[in-house]
Amino acid sequence: MSVIEAVNVSKRFGEVEAVADVSLEVQAGEFFGLFGPNGAGKTTLLRMLTGQLDPDSGEIRTAGVPHGDPMGIKRAVGIVPEVEAPPTFLTAREYLELSCRIRELDGVPVRVDRWLGFFEMDGMGNVLCRDLSKGQRQKVMLASAFVHEPRVLLLDEPFINLDPIFQRRVREYLRGLVDESRTVFMCTHILEIAERLCTRVAVINRGRIVDQGTIDQMRVADGEGLEEIFMRLVEAG
Amino acid sequence: MDSLDARLFAAMLREELRLHRSLIGPMGSSLFPAFVFALSSAMAVAAALVFRNLRYATILLMLHAASWLYGCFVGALGHVGEQAMTRRLGQVSMLLQLPQIHPVSLKRTMGLFYLKDALFYLLYSFVPMTAGVALAAPLAGVPLGSVALLGATMFLSFMMGMGLSFLLSALVTRSKSAATVFGLSTLGMISAVWPFGLLEPGQLLLPLGFWWSRDPLPLVAASLVSLVLSTAAVLTIGECFDSAQERHESMFLPTESRLSFTGGMSTLLAKEWLELLRSGALAQVVTGFVGLILGVYAVVWLFEAGVGIPLPFNVVSYSGFVGLVGVMAYSWMTNVENNECLNAMPVGVGRVVEAKVALYLLLTAGASAGYVALIGLARNELGLVPLGILVAEATSVYSVAVTAHLTGLWTNAMFFDARVLARFSAAVVPPLTAIEVASLFMGGGALHAMGAVVAVSLVQLALSLPIFRGMKGKWERRSFSFAATSH
Repeated sequence: MSVIEAVNVSKRFGEVEAVADVSLEVQAGEFFGLFGPNGAGKTTLLRMLTGQLDPDSGEIRTAGVPHGDPMGIKRAVGIVPEVEAPPTFLTAREYLELSCRIRELDGVPVRVDRWLGFFEMDGMGNVLCRDLSKGQRQKVMLASAFVHEPRVLLLDEPFINLDPIFQRRVREYLRGLVDESRTVFMCTHILEIAERLCTRVAVINRGRIVDQGTIDQMRVADGEGLEEIFMRLVEAG
Repeated sequence: MDSLDARLFAAMLREELRLHRSLIGPMGSSLFPAFVFALSSAMAVAAALVFRNLRYATILLMLHAASWLYGCFVGALGHVGEQAMTRRLGQVSMLLQLPQIHPVSLKRTMGLFYLKDALFYLLYSFVPMTAGVALAAPLAGVPLGSVALLGATMFLSFMMGMGLSFLLSALVTRSKSAATVFGLSTLGMISAVWPFGLLEPGQLLLPLGFWWSRDPLPLVAASLVSLVLSTAAVLTIGECFDSAQERHESMFLPTESRLSFTGGMSTLLAKEWLELLRSGALAQVVTGFVGLILGVYAVVWLFEAGVGIPLPFNVVSYSGFVGLVGVMAYSWMTNVENNECLNAMPVGVGRVVEAKVALYLLLTAGASAGYVALIGLARNELGLVPLGILVAEATSVYSVAVTAHLTGLWTNAMFFDARVLARFSAAVVPPLTAIEVASLFMGGGALHAMGAVVAVSLVQLALSLPIFRGMKGKWERRSFSFAATSH
């Protein structure tokens, strides 16, 4: 069953064609990785898949919800945006409470405690987000995306600013979700992590998908790793 | 300036222009100097024709005092600018942040930023204003040379104000007691002019003094004072970045529960309330009325002293302006947070606008009524207070509805975009003018005037309803992210 579907999607910003005629499909239970050099169109595509940005043309359906219903998409999925910017004047705990209440979830204190505990932020829950470190702010953003335990997660650089302990913890959590037939769509530059996690990947360059499939399908030589595949595709494109 | 300073200065100027364009769009940004030009030209003509009774001395005092206050406002932004911009614009990084990671001192960066602001406001405000007054000079019977001199002395007053508030804000970051002493000393000097009358205004506001003596010495002294103040400010700025942590017990769920009477809005209202409380903007929202009421008193004085016609202003007349302050209060409320994180949640801009408007109404309904009652008490017009409260509340609801409809969460656009300002004025000025004019004819309890005031207030309330209803739809699909910054 396809959980994320983009058909001939394009987006321009003035003169710049950020995403050009992109089509891709992600099935339930897949861990899908989207890679590309800086400015290739990854974040723009992710923002369109999550209802944050309207495509100029093409069709998108995420978690069964068409792009014309952005609130429906946001209700159905968990999103980690590119920027780790929780509200300046709320504490970490209050931000997670807000996330729960916007999503009309039950058992708010239990959920918030669980995710603060998961990220070992119990002692930082009462600190204003403004005063948290970048890594702590990223943990808060991840917790906010996980707090409603969605069937589909779309993550933009989820491991950025996390120390190795929490990179591993998040990695294992995401792998566990995929084992439960949930779906993860991730943009990242950390290819070693992606190689270990992703069941299928796509490479985007200058707004176009230049290849997609399993890593095995994308190899042209034995022993070629994701980094070599990435370099070959980007340099060719 | 060495080449690095020159390049940094040019980059800051470009940054300011691009920020300005991003805030209000390329058209609005380009039109802003034209707007200042047209406005100052019109005001110069009006002053010459209408304020015949006003002495030149009074006009000069007003112009220089206004320029000084403008400078105070801009100079203080130099201090809070980085924090406010980062908060308001999310990930928009300013060149002011360079010293955090580059081997360039904060003193040097702030100094250049200050100079950049001075040049920017000179080109964007004072040059078009002077040109506008020059256009009207033949009508006002003022020689062009005097207009150029007026532009120069007003700009020097602006620089004195800018230097003063820059130093004060720099002192705040180093020692609150030193800042308090400095602030109180400044207030002491001002009080020596008014109300004690120990000094002439021109002895303190030096560029104004030039107009009495025609001696260049006050201008040289004003330039020196401005230089000393700004240099002292730059030297006062420290190179360390504060990293204290602020902690609060969670107040979100209890606040949301207390606001449950607002139904589905309580979640966002609780967020807005906590942000307002902790950012310090709440005090601005509640006390902002005082500034505007004083401004209205000044305008009334201007009419009475300038036109020579005593205006029969009463509590109802003031109430219209009390209502209008809602525009400022709503603007302060939208500048607290950028809300970018909400892009990842199932909540649209329209709902946040609704929540802000609702919080504004909850906060200011009582404050407006209180201010009207106080004015009624002070003027011994308690009988007109109920009508005044109706006027204040209706004007407040309507002005905020129009503001939120036109600008959503981006009220800065209103203050700089000539097109938005024109649409706002077209919507708000006619009913306010009708109320003000009718209120002037209320002496002796004239029923027709009272009826007109009530009718216009009810029309404002009636017009507000469809505007509020359309708010969510209008803003729902907008992103919380700040405007695109590509060039």
